[in-house]
Amino acid sequence: MLRYIALRGLLALLVAFTVSLAAFFLLNVATDPAQAIAGEDAPPEVVESIRARYGLDRPLPVRYADWLGGVMTGDFGESYYWHKPVATLVADRADETITLALSALAVTILIAIPLGALAALNPNSWIDRFALGVAVSAQAVPNFWLGLIVIILFAVTFPIFPVSGDDTWRHFVLPAFVLGASSVPAVMRLTRTGLIEVMGADYIRTARAKGFRGWPLLRRHALRNALLPVISVLAVQLGQKFGGSVITESIFAINGLGRLALESILGADIPTVQMLIFVFAIVFVAMNLLADILNAALDPRIRIG
Amino acid sequence: MLTVRMRSLCAATMLTLATSVAPAFAGKSDDTLRVAMAEEILNLDYNYTTKREYIILAQLTDATLFNINPQTAEVEPSVAKSYEFVDDTTLDVVLRDDVTFHDGSKLTAEDVAYTYNWINSPDSESNANGVVERWLDNAEVTGPNTVRFHLKSVYPLVLRDMGARIMLRKAGSYDANGEIDRDAMASDLIGAGPYKVVSFEPGTELVLERYDGYFGDKPEISKIVVRNLPDIGTQQAELMSGGVDWMFKVPLDLAESLGATPMAEHLSGPDLRVGFLVLDAAGYTDEDGPLTNVLVRRAINHALNTPEMAKFLIGGSAEAIHTACHPAQFGCDQSVTAYPYDPDKARALLAEAGYENGFPLELWAYRDKAASEAIASDLKAVGIDVNLRYVKLQSLNQARAQREIPAYFGTWGSGGTADTAAIARIHFSDSDRNLSGDAELEKTVLAAEQTNDPAERKALYSEALGHIADQAYWAPLFSYSANYLVSPDLDFPLDPDGLPRLQNAHWK
Repeated sequence: MLRYIALRGLLALLVAFTVSLAAFFLLNVATDPAQAIAGEDAPPEVVESIRARYGLDRPLPVRYADWLGGVMTGDFGESYYWHKPVATLVADRADETITLALSALAVTILIAIPLGALAALNPNSWIDRFALGVAVSAQAVPNFWLGLIVIILFAVTFPIFPVSGDDTWRHFVLPAFVLGASSVPAVMRLTRTGLIEVMGADYIRTARAKGFRGWPLLRRHALRNALLPVISVLAVQLGQKFGGSVITESIFAINGLGRLALESILGADIPTVQMLIFVFAIVFVAMNLLADILNAALDPRIRIG
Repeated sequence: MLTVRMRSLCAATMLTLATSVAPAFAGKSDDTLRVAMAEEILNLDYNYTTKREYIILAQLTDATLFNINPQTAEVEPSVAKSYEFVDDTTLDVVLRDDVTFHDGSKLTAEDVAYTYNWINSPDSESNANGVVERWLDNAEVTGPNTVRFHLKSVYPLVLRDMGARIMLRKAGSYDANGEIDRDAMASDLIGAGPYKVVSFEPGTELVLERYDGYFGDKPEISKIVVRNLPDIGTQQAELMSGGVDWMFKVPLDLAESLGATPMAEHLSGPDLRVGFLVLDAAGYTDEDGPLTNVLVRRAINHALNTPEMAKFLIGGSAEAIHTACHPAQFGCDQSVTAYPYDPDKARALLAEAGYENGFPLELWAYRDKAASEAIASDLKAVGIDVNLRYVKLQSLNQARAQREIPAYFGTWGSGGTADTAAIARIHFSDSDRNLSGDAELEKTVLAAEQTNDPAERKALYSEALGHIADQAYWAPLFSYSANYLVSPDLDFPLDPDGLPRLQNAHWK
């Protein structure tokens, strides 16, 4: 097991470095950080002084090697805009993104699993069709559009929640719904398929013969087995929530890692983008690893390593 | 990243859902002006920033030696009580004696000299250094309320630069106890402007309160809260729900649709930004190319329907221009040659130049895609085979630096400076933006920066702009428009220079 975890950890690092290398060169090719910092109309002498100040006039390989050397010693560099260590910046913002990602996952679970279970218990009924409709809609609707819809409905037309910000739990309700909705289709369909398969199994027939019906049958016998694949998907979805929070955080003005990523990309704040890519890649791989471990813990037949 | 158009479309769709709802306007009731800005505000010290949002905030928190009157474009004393040029390179400034910083301490001559000498020193690494070191040798305290500025050479824009770029700081602000701290004023700003900082959470919120000790006209609104809202749709929703009273840089279609409802008012004001085509008259890309022929360049000017571009594509208060500067800028002589839209004349000029069948032209652009396509379309209509290369600003800058661009659609905002120098110097002197290759023109443009006599400067700019027009080095297109959405309770006056001055806002 430990060897497996170490291997996956190594894989995560490799992924993170590969992505960071690609991002570094792409960002430098696509943008001029000095011009981005100075602004469109800044006089050339200002742009050049910024270029010299941040060492942006050095060759790209030298700059990347410099960054990599820093990372090896735990120094991810300093943000061009915030003028403070990127690691501190990311740590300061992580709380909001973790809160949003977990809230979104809770929304996914609260909607997708009951809906999937209802659809499985009533296959080909109107409930099943309704669940399918929800899944298709949630899959099709982009979250920037859904975000604006819920803001107008629940913050402007019916002012129940605040439009934007991250001060209280109420500020997280709408963004969590928007971010969580995108995972509903996968989890709901998987729950439905798993339950339909389980409900046809011999041990369920036995349980029925013993007099189990309805909710007790579902809770004690069916769900535990049907949700095994769902749990691993949820872990993967949680990883995606971190990277997927970019648009949602921007729409709802949440000061998390997603918004920081967007602002950093637009402003060509390369040290910040580099570390964020690093963090997102590590989180994603870690969540996949967690999914494997959870599966093994829940199902003794599965062994990893 | 979604395009502004896409966002606007979504926002407009949502508008129909919300128009039946009565808005709640919170700003007037608690005398707090809530402002939305998409740009993250990270540093309050304009001596270390450059972007427009920071200029707007600096107007609120900081004081300068001089102010530029937006109505007359003239420089007026501010912290300075009076000034005198002892000779062409020596400027004496007498300071007011009633100016205090936000911590209550009195502003002294030492503070003024310190600020200028600090920014002028390489150690400062200030974003204003490039502007100041061009003309300042040093600043010297000559009395309790007097400072003498020793200039390196004659520089007519010295008072303008002082008014627009240098925010006054207390002596020792950046290097107290010998330790340099360039971010000392980034969060804990001590300025001398009409508003003082109450709290600041970088990237999230800035709270300002009227400073009762301000020496000038005190603003009417007691409190300003600046919120960073990156998404224009969110800003719109906040405006509709009363969470925001003022937003700017609003796309025209969104501004018009929301401005037509009772929830917001659409204001459209001038912007010093102008759009123009720069033509490779010098032949850097092709020394015998068609653009080296003045008849071809005049034909291009005649081919462009700039009034319709301004009206339908830029909108608001945008207008067609025929000068290589904004009409509101000092020295921007409007009597120079104009080339009215006349495709037949354009075709005739092309034929006269020997290009009756047109010629291939690579046209570069980096913003305002609709306008770029309209330009290409107009040129195609007179027979020029345009290949529009719509690229990122970075790519255009690189290609221009390599002299690989025959023609590009450029824009310039002059940093909000209402003086022709702010656009002429960079586009017609020693810069890769200068595709005219005209050494005499460069001399004239630079000569206008070598005299303090306004009449002489105007004459020199008239000569330069007239020559640019006659030679059709540019095809001037249009001025831009600044679109705002504000609470119906807010009276927000717009100035001709396009700089939003929140300190002049008041409730209806």
